[in-house]
This record gives sequence, structure tokens and C-alpha cells, in this order.
Amino acid sequence: MNRPVYLDHAATTPIDPRVAAAMAQCLGMQGEFGNPASNHEFGHAAATLVEQARAQVAAGVGAAPREVIWTSGATEANNLAIFGIARHYREYGRHIVTARTEHKAVLDPCRELERHGWRVTYLAPDGGGVVHADQVAAALRPETVLVSIMQVNNEIGVIQDIAAIGAVCARHGGARLHVDAAQSAGKIAIDFAALGADLMSLSAHKVYGPKGVGALLLAQRGRGAGTQLTALQFGGGQERGLRAGTVPTHQVVGMGLAFALARAAAPEIERIASLRERLWQGLASLGGTLRNGDAVRSVPHILNVSFEGVEGESLLAALRGRLAVSTGSACSSALQEPSYVLRALGRDEVLSESSLRFGLGRFTSQGDIDAAVAAVTEAVLRLRRIAGA
Amino acid sequence: MKYSELTLRYFETAAGAGMLTGSEVHRGAAGSRARGTWVQFDVQVAAGDIRAARFLAFGCPHTIAVSAWVVEHAAGPVAGGALPESVQELSERFEVPAEKRGRLLIIEDAWVGALNAALQR
Repeated sequence: MNRPVYLDHAATTPIDPRVAAAMAQCLGMQGEFGNPASNHEFGHAAATLVEQARAQVAAGVGAAPREVIWTSGATEANNLAIFGIARHYREYGRHIVTARTEHKAVLDPCRELERHGWRVTYLAPDGGGVVHADQVAAALRPETVLVSIMQVNNEIGVIQDIAAIGAVCARHGGARLHVDAAQSAGKIAIDFAALGADLMSLSAHKVYGPKGVGALLLAQRGRGAGTQLTALQFGGGQERGLRAGTVPTHQVVGMGLAFALARAAAPEIERIASLRERLWQGLASLGGTLRNGDAVRSVPHILNVSFEGVEGESLLAALRGRLAVSTGSACSSALQEPSYVLRALGRDEVLSESSLRFGLGRFTSQGDIDAAVAAVTEAVLRLRRIAGA
Repeated sequence: MKYSELTLRYFETAAGAGMLTGSEVHRGAAGSRARGTWVQFDVQVAAGDIRAARFLAFGCPHTIAVSAWVVEHAAGPVAGGALPESVQELSERFEVPAEKRGRLLIIEDAWVGALNAALQR
């Protein structure tokens, strides 16, 4: 049975076979399965691999190895950053600045803090999804302790000018900058030191690494040298006391190699950008197609398109068995809700629901793109005919 | 979301999609595209009986599937003025989640509107 074409790499990627092989070497009796905290040969060997992986991740994003704190993924990293900063700096102020288009892994912790008396400013992006540095500057207050802005939006792929926002935060002095880089790491060049960020969340499974592992970068140089976190979990003191729990050697080894491979695979970005353009041209020929997000300031692997005259849930259902993509709506029980990201860009409810996010990846071929265009074209035309559109 | 086999079959075939024309054709519509669900029925009536029916639907797979089923089972006297099955029965037949049952009421309104147009002729 043929599997559908997979164009949902922004949701997750398959593990690169080289990564899977390296991980497997850490699992069995003959491999480096030891607890990296153990003080014997098995532990020492595992710890060596963990530190090698730490260096690989750091090198992939322009950070120092000592700035890497392992977590279970970007969601945990976001939570550790937001709650960790909030708890440590609450005596200095209780105000956070973020954007309406952030991932739920940032928005939900912010809402939780609001329930405990914090004030949060949610910035509205422009029609292309860009949050401007002067908006951040205008939102800062003396009591602001954290600004959290993602580098690349997970739905529309728009790249924010983190360096400019970092400069604004530096001028403020008290506001730490956290950047969710789950969608940007391994996709665009990142220089953590140069961006002016104090914290950065990373994920492995968006870059052909395993699920269940990620990292939080905590700046230990420049302006961020003094950034402190209060730990959220306790029991073992791993990761300098900031993230207790046995470090999963196989997971971090997988993440390290995935980041190293992403650096080596930088030339694939041009190929993916070319495929995305082919995809957009194919879909645009349908008519009644609207590209969501600033097309110039976007990563090459994400394309988000709304289709006039079709209903979102039916569009996704019509693609079953042929194409795996994400819809612009989120399931809430049985009802679909329009994408809050597209709504923040000013799209109406129907167009927000009738959008598809295409996520291209390392293994995407031109044949996949052509099959996707054919499947979407057939589905959209059929649904428009049924709707009399 | 997972759909029943019946829902998928009627959604994928949507055999009765389209419009009818002619003096014996009567139309009813309900819902709103802007609010996510809109349905239109055309019924062709002769000698008090429905001879043919077609639908147009902008909505979820359940909306399309149930609309398609309704026109397939539409033949019969207009005088009944109701769907071939009740909203409750259709909901169970197509395993429509409780949160989406309001959409079946839109289908019912459109259908009843078409039949009323025929009866008022």
C-alpha cells in the first residue's frame, strides 16, 4: 500500500538513518548504555558521548557547550525558560512581553503566569506575521523581566528579526530575551552569541533527530552572563542543578548528530526553497489561493496557503490517503477552530480554517511536490464544485 | 478526526451534488459560508412527489455526507415536509459528534425550505 506524500516536516521529521544508528549504539550491552553520572567506565564513556553531543548542538547554533541544558524537548525548554526566569526575577517585576502568534508552548505558560498575578503583553504582528522591534520597545516597562519571541513561526514560517529585538532588550537592561528556535535551528544559520538572546529553546525532532529530547540555551557570556534560572524540577542535580533527571545518552547523542548533520546539509536549503516555489506556483494556478505570511522573510521549508471556497475540515479529509499536511485549524473536541496565528494576521475565520501548512524536508522530492499539487488541485476543485463556488 | 465508513463513502462520492433547473424545481437554503456551514437543496416535484433532488454544501465531511444521503433518499411525497430520517436518526446513522449536530439542523432547515417552496407553489 502506498503511503501518502509526507509534507508535514514542520510537525516532525523522520530520524535520519545515521542518527538512528548512532542512537542504537547507546542502547545495548555492547554499547554506551551507562548512566553518564556514574563513576565507572560505563558512566565515563556515556558522559563523554553526552559532552560530545553538547558540543555538536552548541556548534550548530553558535553557542558554547556550557550554555546547553538538556531537556525533553522544546516545550519543556520553553517552560523552563519562562517559569525559571519568572520565579528567579519576580522580585524585580512581573511583566512579560510576547506575541499573539507564539507557539502554545509559550502562550500557555504565559497564561498560567497571568493566573498568578503576572501581566503579559501580547504583541500583534503585521499582516505578514512580523513582530517589529519598535513594538517590543514600546511594550517594555520598568518591571518587564522577560521578552519571548520565536525566531520562526511554526505555522507560516516567518522569520523574526531577533537581533533587532535583542538590541531593544539590551537597551532596556532588565528584560531577558527568550527565543523559541524549534523551527529555525537546522533550517537557517543561527548565531546565539550574536543575536543578543539570553535563552533559546531547541528541539531535536524537527531536524531529523529523535522526539523526546531538546535543549535550552542559557547565555553564559556577554550581556547574558548574569542570567539566572530557578529550576523547576529536582532530584539529582543534573545539568548544573537546572534540570534534574538522568540524561538519556541515546537521545542526546541523536540530537547532537542531527545538529551536526544539519550544518553539513546547509546546501539542501536551496533545493528545498526551489521545491517550495514549485509547490506555490502549482497551487497558485488553481486561483483563489492566498499565501499566508511574509513571503520574503520566511524559511524555505514552510508554505502556508488558504484556499477560497472550501471548508478546512473537508479539505483535509479529501486529502486522506494522498497527502499528509497540517490544516490551519486546531481540533478542539470534534469542532475545528480557526488558526489563531492566521486570525492574528487578519485572515477571516473561513480562510483561517481553509489553510494548509506544507512542510518540506530533506527527503522531499520533486515527484512529491507534483503529487501534492495534483492531490490538492483535485480536492479543491471537487469541494468547490460541491459548494457551488 | 475519524469518520465512519458511511460518512466517508458519501463524502467521497457526493453523488447528488449539483443543481436542478426547470419550472418544477424548488429551492431551499440555510446556514452561512462565513460561519462555516451552508447547504442548498433543489427538489424537482411532480404530482406532489419528489422526483429528483440535488444539493450544494459548504461544510465539514459530515455536512456533505448527510446532504448527499438525503438527496439519495428523497423520493416520495412532498406533503411529509420532513427529512427522510429525523436529525437524531441521521446523527446516529453517520455517527455525528454531539458538538456538530447543529449542522444537521442547518441541513434540515434547507430541506424543509425547499419542500415548503414546493408546497406553496
